[in-house]
Amino acid sequence: MPLLELRNLYKAFGGLQAISNVSLTVEEGEIISIIGPNGAGKSTLFNLITGVYRPDRGDIIFEGERINGLTPDQVTKKGIARTFQNLRLFTHLTVLENILIPQHHRLKSSWLAAVLRTPAYRRQEEEMRKIALEKLSFFGPRLMSFRLHQPVYVLSYANRRRTEMARAMATGAKLLLLDEPSAGMNPKETKEITQIIRRFRDEGGYTIVLVEHKMNLVGEISDRVVVLDYGEKIAEGDYKDVVNDPKVIEAYLGRREE
Amino acid sequence: MMRNNLLTLASVGLAILALYLLTTSEGSSGLLSALTLIFIWGIAAVSLNLINGQLGILSLGHHGFMLIGGYVTALLMLPAKERRPFRTRLLSDWARDHLDLDKWLRGLGLDFIANSVDLKFIIALFIAGLAAALLGLLVGAPSLRLKGDYLAIVTFGMGEILRLLPNTREVAAFTNGPLGLKGIPGNAGTIWWTFFALLFVLWFFSRLKFSSYGRAFEGIREDEIAAEAMGVNLAYHKILAFTISAFFAGVSGGLYASYLQSVDTQTFNFFVTFFLLVAISLGGLGSITGAMIGTAVVVLVRVYGGFLEMPYPAWVSYLSGALIMLSAFAFSAYIRKARRLRPIIETKHYIFGAIGLALLLVAIIFHNEPWMTQTVQFFGMRKMLLAVILILIMIYRREGIMGRAEFSWKMIFGPREDIPTDEQRKQDAWLSNPELNPGLEEGGDDNASA
Repeated sequence: MPLLELRNLYKAFGGLQAISNVSLTVEEGEIISIIGPNGAGKSTLFNLITGVYRPDRGDIIFEGERINGLTPDQVTKKGIARTFQNLRLFTHLTVLENILIPQHHRLKSSWLAAVLRTPAYRRQEEEMRKIALEKLSFFGPRLMSFRLHQPVYVLSYANRRRTEMARAMATGAKLLLLDEPSAGMNPKETKEITQIIRRFRDEGGYTIVLVEHKMNLVGEISDRVVVLDYGEKIAEGDYKDVVNDPKVIEAYLGRREE
Repeated sequence: MMRNNLLTLASVGLAILALYLLTTSEGSSGLLSALTLIFIWGIAAVSLNLINGQLGILSLGHHGFMLIGGYVTALLMLPAKERRPFRTRLLSDWARDHLDLDKWLRGLGLDFIANSVDLKFIIALFIAGLAAALLGLLVGAPSLRLKGDYLAIVTFGMGEILRLLPNTREVAAFTNGPLGLKGIPGNAGTIWWTFFALLFVLWFFSRLKFSSYGRAFEGIREDEIAAEAMGVNLAYHKILAFTISAFFAGVSGGLYASYLQSVDTQTFNFFVTFFLLVAISLGGLGSITGAMIGTAVVVLVRVYGGFLEMPYPAWVSYLSGALIMLSAFAFSAYIRKARRLRPIIETKHYIFGAIGLALLLVAIIFHNEPWMTQTVQFFGMRKMLLAVILILIMIYRREGIMGRAEFSWKMIFGPREDIPTDEQRKQDAWLSNPELNPGLEEGGDDNASA
C-alpha cells in the first residue's frame, strides 16, 4: 500500500485550471521532488494535500484512508506536515515554543488539567520537550542551547528554515511536504540542507515530498522527480530521464521555432 | 524553582500585610477604594487580554459579559424585600418565587451556606461567571468564524444586545428595566474579596498562559494559517478562550455590582470595554503583568486626577504649560541620546523650548494682571491626560509598557536562558566559522561537536 496516493485530482480557481488530472503515488521512505515552472501548480498541489483547498474532483488517499475534505489541522493529525515557501513561523515566540505548539494536538489533558498541572499533564509536557530537543538535534547543536529560548525574530534566515523543518517534524507526521526548503540559502547551506533532508529519511524514517527550484539539490537527493506544467503532470521518473525529456525542456525553455 | 516559589509566597504575604495595615489605619478609605477598583477592573482587563492579547482577536463586547455577571449576581444576592419593585407580570412572579438562591440552597439542605452572605456571594459569583460563559459560548460559536474588523463589529453588536437585554419588555419584569437593581449586599466593598479574587485570576491566567493551551493561543495570534497547519484546531481554541474570558468578565461584573451595591444598564456601557482596551494597550497586549499595570494607571488617573479639574488662577496653567513644553524639549534631546543618535538637538525641537520660554516669560511678567489672576477650570482633563499618555506610549513604545513580557523572578535574579554564556558563545563561533570547523566545508556535518 502506498503511503500517499493522489487519484485524478482537479482544482480550478474560476476559469484557471490550476491542477488537472494529476495522479501520484508516494511509497514509504521515498524522497520525491516536484518541479515545474512558476505557476505550474506545485504549491496548489501542496495546498490540496494539506486540506487548505478542497479538490474539485479526485481523491487523496493517505494510508488507505480518504482525506480530502478534512481541515488542515485534521490532515496534520493524520500524519502529513508541511513547511511554507515564505516562512510562517510564530515569530514572537521562542524556538522551543515553536517546536512545542505542533505537539499540542497530541495532548490528552483538558485545559483544566493543564491549568491545574496534573501529574499526567506534567508528564506529557516533559515528553513534548524531549521530542522537541530530539527534532532540533537533526540540525546539530546550533539551535539547542541558548537559541532554544530566543524568539524566532532574532534568528538568521537559515536557522529559521531549520526551525520550520523541526516544527513540521514535531507534529509527529510520517510524510513531510517541504515547500522550497533551500530558498534563500547560500550554496554551502544548500549543500548542508541536502544532507539533512537525506538524514530525515534515513535516520528519522520520514517520507519526503519537496518542491524545489535548485536543480542540483533535486538531482542529488530525489528518488523520483515529478514535473508539473499548467497544472498537468508532464513527466515522472528518474532525474536524468526527466531532465532530458523533450516535453520538460519545452516547458522550461520553450519550443524552438522551426 | 524553590527560590521563586518562596519569593512569590513572601510577596503575597507582604501584600496581605500591607493591605491589613491599610484597612486598620485611618484616612485610607480613598486609597482602599482605588485599590478595590484596580482589582475589579484588573480581573476584567486580564480576561479581555486573553482574547485581545494572547489570541489576537479584537473583541469589543466585553461589557456585555460583565453586565450579565453583574445582573445575575444582583438577582441572586438581592434580599427578599428588595424584590418588591418588580412589576407584576408572569415572568416576575416566576422570578420572585424561583430566582432565589436562598431557597435553592435550603432546598438542598445547605442552610449553613444560605445563612452566610459571604459563602452565598461566592456561589452567586460562580453562577454569574457560568451565565456569562454560556452567553460567551452562544455569541462566540457563530461569530468567531469571522476575522479582524468584521469580528470586532459583530462582538460590539453582541455586547450591546446583551447590555440592552435588561431593558426589554419581558426581561424588564425582573431586571426592573432602566431603573436597575439596588440594595445588593456590598461584599466586594471590603478589599479582601476583590484581592483574593484577583489573586486567583492571576494564578489561573498565568498557569493557562504557560501551558500547552496558552502556547496554542499564542500560535494562533502569531499566524493562524501556520497554527492550523501544525494541528491546532482553530475553532475549538478560539471558542475556548472566548468562553473562559467571558466567565471571568462575568465574575468581575458581579464584583463591580456588589461594590456599587446597584446595577443598571448604564453601569456597563461601551466605555467599560473602551477603558479596558486602553488599559491593556497601555500595559502591553498579551501580557498579564501589563494588563495589571495598565489598569492601575487608568484607575489611578481617574481616581486621583481630580486635582487637574479644579479651578486655578490662570497663571498656573501658563506655568504648567511652560513646564510641559520645556520638559518636551529636554525629552526630545534625551530620546536622541537613548537611541544613540548624534547628540544634537534638531531645529524643529527648539520650537518646544521657545514656546515653553515664552509661556514662562508671560507668566512672570503679567502675573499681577487681572486676566492672569482670574480662575479658570478645565473639565475633562483626566481623560485628556489618559489620551496623552496613550499617544506617547504608542509613539515611543508601541508594544506597551511590558510588551509581551511577563514579570518573573528570573527577570530580576536570573539566570537569563536566552543570553549565551561565554562557553556557548565560543561554541557558537566555532560552529559557524569554517576555519575552526572544517567539517562545514565538506557539507556541514556539525554533529562532530556533540
